[in-house]
Amino acid sequence: MHRRVAITGVGVVTPLGTGGPAYSSALFGGATGIAPIDRFDAGRFSSRLAAQIRGFTPRDFISPATLRRMDLLSQMATASAVMALADAGLQVEAADRDRIGVIAGTCFGGTDVAAQFGRALFTEGPRRANPILVPNTVMNAPAGHAAVALGLRGVNATVNHREASAEVALAYAAETIARGRADAILAGGGDVLSEFCFEVLSHFKAMSPQDGETEAARPFDARRNGPVIGEGFGLLCLEALETARSRGARIYAEIRGWGMSSAPAPPNDWPADPAGPVLALERALGAAGIDAGAIDAICASANGGRRLDALEADALARVFAPDRQRPLITSLKGALGESFASGGMRAAAMALALKEGRLPPTVGLETPMALLNFVRAPLRAALGNVLVNGFASGGTFATIVLSRPDAKED
Amino acid sequence: MTPERVVVTGLGTLNAVAGNVADFRRALQEGVCGIGPVTVFDTAEFRTHAGGQVNGFDPRRSIPKPISIKRMSRSDQLAMAAALEALADAGLWPLPEALRQDTGVIIGGGAGGMLACEAEYDHWLKGNRQPVYSRFASFCCASSADHIAAQLALMGPKTTFMTACSSGATAIGYARDMIQSGRAPLMICGGTEPLCRITYAAFNALQAVDPEFCKPFDQHRMGMSLGEGAGILILEALSHARRRGARILAELLGYGVSCDAHHMTAPDPQAGGAVLCMRAALEDAGVAAAQVDYINAHGTATPANDAMESRAIHEVFGERAGTVPVSSTKSMTGHTLGAAGAIEAVASVLAIAHGFLPPTVHLQAPDPACDLNHVTGGARWAAVNVVLSNSFAFGGNNTALVLGTFTEKGIGHA
Repeated sequence: MHRRVAITGVGVVTPLGTGGPAYSSALFGGATGIAPIDRFDAGRFSSRLAAQIRGFTPRDFISPATLRRMDLLSQMATASAVMALADAGLQVEAADRDRIGVIAGTCFGGTDVAAQFGRALFTEGPRRANPILVPNTVMNAPAGHAAVALGLRGVNATVNHREASAEVALAYAAETIARGRADAILAGGGDVLSEFCFEVLSHFKAMSPQDGETEAARPFDARRNGPVIGEGFGLLCLEALETARSRGARIYAEIRGWGMSSAPAPPNDWPADPAGPVLALERALGAAGIDAGAIDAICASANGGRRLDALEADALARVFAPDRQRPLITSLKGALGESFASGGMRAAAMALALKEGRLPPTVGLETPMALLNFVRAPLRAALGNVLVNGFASGGTFATIVLSRPDAKED
Repeated sequence: MTPERVVVTGLGTLNAVAGNVADFRRALQEGVCGIGPVTVFDTAEFRTHAGGQVNGFDPRRSIPKPISIKRMSRSDQLAMAAALEALADAGLWPLPEALRQDTGVIIGGGAGGMLACEAEYDHWLKGNRQPVYSRFASFCCASSADHIAAQLALMGPKTTFMTACSSGATAIGYARDMIQSGRAPLMICGGTEPLCRITYAAFNALQAVDPEFCKPFDQHRMGMSLGEGAGILILEALSHARRRGARILAELLGYGVSCDAHHMTAPDPQAGGAVLCMRAALEDAGVAAAQVDYINAHGTATPANDAMESRAIHEVFGERAGTVPVSSTKSMTGHTLGAAGAIEAVASVLAIAHGFLPPTVHLQAPDPACDLNHVTGGARWAAVNVVLSNSFAFGGNNTALVLGTFTEKGIGHA
C-alpha cells in the first residue's frame, strides 16, 4: 500500500504566538520572537536573549485536572495536538481513535524535570526523590500526554535525535500513513527553554555571542556569532490525501517525499564536507520524483552558527543551480531562535506559506555570507514545491518536500 | 509491486547474562539469571540494590582501534560493541566500502549518557569541583547512533527513538520500513540502555522494583529488576542478502505500534493498546495468531503489566492463549528499558534459528490472573517458526514485532 499524505491541520505554540492565525500574521509580517529572557534570571550568563513562547494559556486547551500532571513541554505538545485536530476539522470518535496517532520529536524533552528530580536525589537522597516528577522526565512524555488527553490509540512514537527530531517525526508519520498503519497522525515536535539546559549550553559556548560581540540571531549572515536559543511546539495533522479530499478537508500541502542521511562528524559537531546534507537533499528530491529546478523555496536549518550555516549554504549551492532566481531560501531561526526540535513549527510555517503564497523572511540577515537567493523581507510568491531542512549536529540530515496539493501531479 | 522482504543477517548483544550472542544463546538455554548486585554506582542509599548489570565489560577489548571510545558514554560503548558484533556475525566486518553510502542506523535509546552526566551533575550540585562539561556532551540518546555512523563512515538514514521501554522494538520496526521503501538496503538497528542512578531512583520512587529479582507472571511478583545492555540486529533487503550470499537467520515479518492513551505510567488494565499493537503486528506480518509458536512477553513482573499482558494475549489468541508458549527473558536479563525490545528481538531470532523456547526463570507459582502456557523449569527444544515479541512502555507506547523462520516461499502473506 502506498498512499499520498496531506497536511490538513496546524497546531503551534511559538515565540510568534499560539495558533495558526497568530503565528502566520507575525511570521509573514517579519516579526521576531527573540527578546530578553524573563523565564529565569539570565544575568549571570553572557547570553541573555531567547525566543520564548508567547500568548500561550494552557487551560484554553487542557482541563485543569490533566494540566496538573504535565510539565510545560507536555502542555505545549497537548495544546498543539488539540489545535491541529481542530484546525483539520477532525472529530475523534470511539471508532477511529485507534487509527489516529501522535509522533513527536524532541531534543531535550523533560531534561529540566529530570534535573529537578536529580537535584533532590543527589542532595537529599533517593527517599526524597519525588515520584510525581517521574512521568515527565521521559522523552516520550509529550506524545504520551497528548495521546492520553485526546484518547488517541493509534501509532505513537517519539523521535529523540537532536535538531532533526521533528523532521524525522514528520517523515516517520508520513511513512506510517502512506503504508496504511494509521489514517491520521499529529506529527512534529518541540522543545522547551529551561534554565538547566541554558546553563549547560552556556558552558559549551553554544550560543550567540560566541565572539563576544553583539548578541543576535543572524542566520546566513557574514557576522553571525552563534544561535539564540528558542522554544516552541508544532504539530501538523497528517492524513491520507484521498481520505482528506473525500471528507472535504482543507489541504495545506502534500508531503511529497523526504530524504535522510548521515555523515561522519565529530561528536555534537558538524562535518566540514557537505556530502551528507547533499545526499539528504538529493534523496528527498528523488523520493518526491521532482528535479531540483522544481523547488521554489527552502526553509533552511541555518541558525546563525558559524559551521552549520556554512555547511548548509555549501550544500544548497551544490544541489541548486546558482544562476536562477529560485529556490528562495529563508531561515526562520532569526525569528524563532534555535529551538532544537523545531521542525514542527517550521513545517507548519511552510504549509501556511504554500497555502497563502507568502514567504517569511530571514530575520537578522543583513550581510549575506553567500550568493544565494535569501529571503530578506516578507514577500509574496507563487509556491509549488518547498523543502524543510532539519540538520542535526553529530551529522544527521533530513529534508522534507512539501507541495501544493494542486501542483503538477504525477 | 511486492514490497521487499526484510531478513535478519546478524546479531549482537551485551547484557547481564552474556557479553556476546553465543553466550546469550547458552544463557537462554540454561536459564541463567544475571540479576545481582549493582556496582556501576553506589546503591547504599537506595531501597533496592540489585539489577541486571553488564559485568566484565571492557570497552577497549570489545571495540577495536582505531575506533575511539574516549568520548562515548557507557550506553554508546555498549551499542558500538553490539553493532560491531552484529556486523561481524553478518559477515560484514570490516564493512565493505561500497556499502557505507547507503547503510543506515536506527537506535532505540533510554537514559543515554546519563550515568556520566549525573555524576557531573552531582558534583556540580554539591560544589565539590567544577564539573567536566565535556561529559554532558554524550548526554543525548542520539549519540549512540551518531558514534556508530561516524566511526563506520555510514551515510544512510540515521535516527533515534526514545519511547522508553519500547524504544528498541520501534527502532527495529522503522528500520524495516526504511528497507521496504527502498531507502536503504542494509540497516543497523536495535537499542541500548545504561544503568544509572536517575532511572534507578525513578523506578524505586514508583515502587516498581523487586528488591530481590523479578518474578514475571508469578503470584508473588513484586516488580521489575532494572537492567542494562544493548541489542543490535543487522536487517537487510532479501535481494541484497542473497546477492552477497549472506546467511539468513530469520525474517522480520512485521511490526505494530499503538498507544494506550490511558495513563503515563500505568498500563491500561483493559489492555486495549496492547491488543491493538499485537494485532497490527500480526496483520502487518500477514500471519494468523494461530501460526505463532512462541510469545516473548514484555513480562516486566510488575503486578499491573503481567496481568494486563495476559489479558491481551487471551484477547488476541482466544482459545490458543492457554497453549502458545510464553516467556519473559527479562527474568534473566532484567528490564533493559530502551534496549529491551532489541535484546528480546535477539532472543527471538535465537529461538527461531536454534529451535528452542527460553524460560521464565524464578516463576514458581503462576498467578491465576496470568493463565498462560509459561515456559518454566528450563528451556525446551521446539520448532519455532513464528515469534511475537512484545514491548510496552511508559507513556502507553506499545510495539510488537513478528519474526519468523526464513523460507523461500515466506511465512507471511501466504
